[in-house]
Formats: sequence, structure tokens, C-alpha cells
Amino acid sequence: MTGKSLDLPAQPYTGEKARLSRAYDYLILVLALFLFIGSFHLHVALTVGDWDFWQDWKDRQWWPLITPLMMITFPAAVQAVLWPNFRLPFGATLCISCLLIGTWITRFFAYHMWNFFPINEVLPATMLPSALVLDAILMLSNSLTVTSIFGGMAFALLFYPTNWPIFGMFHVPVEYGGAQLTVADLFGFQYIRAGTPEYLRIIERGTLRTYGQYATPLSAFCSALLCTLMYPLWWYLGKAFATTKYVQNI
Amino acid sequence: MNITAQTISGTTPRAPFNLPWYLRDLPKYLLTFAVMTVIYVGFRMYQGAYAISTGLDSSDPAFDVHWMRLLYLEGAFLLIVFPSLWGYLWFTRDRNLDKITPKEEITRYFTLTMWISIYTFAVYWAGSYFAEQDNSWHQVSVRDTPFTANHIIEFYFNFPFYILMGGSAWLYARTRLPLYAEGISLPLTLAVVGPFMIFVSVGFNEWGHTFWFREEFFAAPIHWGFVTGVWFALGVGGILLQQVMRLVQLLDQIEDAA
Repeated sequence: MTGKSLDLPAQPYTGEKARLSRAYDYLILVLALFLFIGSFHLHVALTVGDWDFWQDWKDRQWWPLITPLMMITFPAAVQAVLWPNFRLPFGATLCISCLLIGTWITRFFAYHMWNFFPINEVLPATMLPSALVLDAILMLSNSLTVTSIFGGMAFALLFYPTNWPIFGMFHVPVEYGGAQLTVADLFGFQYIRAGTPEYLRIIERGTLRTYGQYATPLSAFCSALLCTLMYPLWWYLGKAFATTKYVQNI
Repeated sequence: MNITAQTISGTTPRAPFNLPWYLRDLPKYLLTFAVMTVIYVGFRMYQGAYAISTGLDSSDPAFDVHWMRLLYLEGAFLLIVFPSLWGYLWFTRDRNLDKITPKEEITRYFTLTMWISIYTFAVYWAGSYFAEQDNSWHQVSVRDTPFTANHIIEFYFNFPFYILMGGSAWLYARTRLPLYAEGISLPLTLAVVGPFMIFVSVGFNEWGHTFWFREEFFAAPIHWGFVTGVWFALGVGGILLQQVMRLVQLLDQIEDAA
């Protein structure tokens, strides 16, 4: 009888090694929580910024374009580490959840409790449904190409419909001082900000407004296209930063 | 049995409060979290108490009393803490790194992870809460000084403080872990130096705001220097991979215990 060597798969740790491994996981979880709240929130605050801060900035032209485009970045980079190396299919959801935690803490304590902006004026948008779909597509397809194209598009296209239940009521038209405004606009005029004059120059400028109801889907599809490109860019950026190199000089 | 294997039970280094040996520094870690929380929440409460009454006009004598003094106190604190902590880490470095046992090395990897965790906690307050609060404050006040009631805390305490913690994590790794002593970890260096550049970007930011007096278009290109700095925090992914690879090697060198 000829012997045949068996290639046994790696066995999971047991006993103290398993407990040690689990303790390390918890430490990493705490680390990741604060890392992504801190870093991803700063990235979003300084790129999406005003579109996410203020109700009257949530327009049809830039908001559906900028928000997914800037928020697909860290999720792609984190997926590039967690999925290929650890088969953890929640990189995007982790990033977006951390972002939401940080954003809500700030909106409540910094805007509402300190400077008395109504919380309804500073509600953050959510990308959580988009992130769940992005993670699911990566997990099911195990393909960077498929996730870039279909995940990136879904991430952007889901943004407006999933946020509409939160923000639709603020886009109801009202007549005020003989002019037609939205409730969101009214917030802006009632709670004057130091940036208000500049804001009036920036918010919803351009001829796209004449497109009426088509402006939003146009912005969303433009964002979908750009997200399919942004996703692989940040995937590789995430891989580059996650180098395991040691060098002799810096 | 591997003859180089080390039995865990029996030779376990002592850890306080009956903690497992690899969590030797957990109490210090939790205590640091608690102290930092008190500091940051204290700052926020101070802002709530005095920002509206004394922080709106930098030419008001009360501004000097409540805000510029706070700035000088922060500076004095940092001047003491920076050399003390970094000096301590350097002068107490392990000079026999080639002799440490696998268990000791594992414990130090846990401690390094705690250092990095503390660093990310400082990044949270600097990059998330107080950073966005800057927008909130500057929408109700007119910036007439680079030392506004929020900047004094955000730029001149929070930023140096996370640099302190990041630098400490880097020094801890370099002085107490063999692999980090033999070569300089590129991802750890990126994760510390990149966010350090955010602090340097304050110079560019304030220079730019001498042109744009009005506040505040937060997503303006003048703020993107901060953004590129924070991307380097993604280097933490590389640190994780380095650590996991080494921990697997070390765990293979020791025997399991029930």
C-alpha cells in the first residue's frame, strides 16, 4: 500500500491561543472604530462638507454627485485589505457606520447643543444602504471588476432614493415674503450663518436647474460613472498604503 | 513537540488583576482612555461655558484671560509632555531585543496595538469632533484671529497631542519589538507621518484665510491639504498585516494551554 501524505488545512486555534486571538480582535475593533471615525470623517467633512452639513445645501446638482463620489473612497481602500486578506465582507459598512457615528455626535453636540442650530437643519445623509450593497456585491462576486462597475454604480444610484425618506419633507415648497422657497431654504434664511452670503452664490447655480425633475437623475448617473472609476482607484490606494515593507532609511 | 516551544502556563509574566499575560498593559490603556476623555470633554464644556461670553472678539480683554491663557497653558503642557514621554520611551528601550521570549514579544505586540489605539482615539477627537465643530463655531462667529475659541483647542492642542501619541507608538515599536528595530516599518511610518502633515497644513490654511475672511466654505480646496494628510492613516492596514503575520509565527513557537 502506498502512503499518501495528507495536506491538512490549517486548524483554528483552541484554548488560550483562541482567547488570545479573540482579545487581539477586540483591540483591533476599538482601534478601527476610532481610526475610521477620525480619518474618514475628516476626509468627508473637508470634501463633501457643506453639502452634508446643511439642509439647504442638499440640492439636486452637486449633493447627489459629490456625496457618493467622496464616500466610496475609504470603503474601497478598506475592502482592499479586509476582503483579500481576512475574507471579512464588511469594509464599506464599517467605514460608513463609523462615519455616521462621528457625524451624529458632532451634529448634536457641536451644532445643536453648542451653537443652537436646529438638528433638522444639520441632519447628515446616510450611505449605509449603498455600503451594504457594495459589500454584498464584493462578497458574492469576489471580483474587483464586477464590484467596480456594478457596486460603484449601485453605491451612487442608491444614494438619492435611500435618503429621500429623510430629506423629502424639507423640499416641500412654501411661500415666504412673496417668494417661493423650500423649507430647507427657509432654515438657511432663518438661521443666518457667517457663510450665508457666499452660500447664496454657490448653492444650485448654473443652468441645470432648468432641467427640472431631470436634474437629480442626471447628477446621480454622472456620480455612478465616476464611482466606477473612483472605486478601483481607491482599492489600489488602499493596497498601496497597506504595504508590509520594512525599510532601512526614511 | 517542537523543542523550541515554550509552555505558556508556569512561565507566564505577571499581569495585574488576574488578567491574561498578554493583556499586561490593559489597565494603563483603559486609564489613558479615561484621562483623555476627561481632557477632551473638559475642553468642550469649557467652550460651552465661555465661548459665547468671551470668545467672539479677540480684542476683548476677556478673550486674553479665557482663551489666550488657555493657549499658553496648552503650550506649556505640551512642552513638558513631549520630551518626557518620548525621552522615557527612548531611554528605557530594550537593549537585548535578540533575547526576548515569544511570549514577551506577543505581549509587546498587544501593547503596541494599544498605543496605536490610543493614537486613533486622539485622531478621533482631532479629525472628527473638533474638526467639524470648527465649521459650526465659525458659522456663528467672525474669525478675527487664527486663535479662535475652537482653533485653540483643535489646532494647538488636539493636533500636537495626536502627533505625540502617534510618535510614541512609533518609538515604542522601534525600541521594543525586534522586527521594528531591525527595519523601519513603512506602514507605521506612513500612518504617523502623514497625519503629522495635517498639523503642518495649518500654516497653509491660515495663510489662505488671510485672503478669505468670510467663513466658511468647508469643502474649499484650501482645506484639501488636511485631506491628503489623513489618507495616510490607511497605513494602519499594513501595520495590521505585519502584526498578524508575526503573531502567527510567534504563536507557532509556544504551546497551547487550556
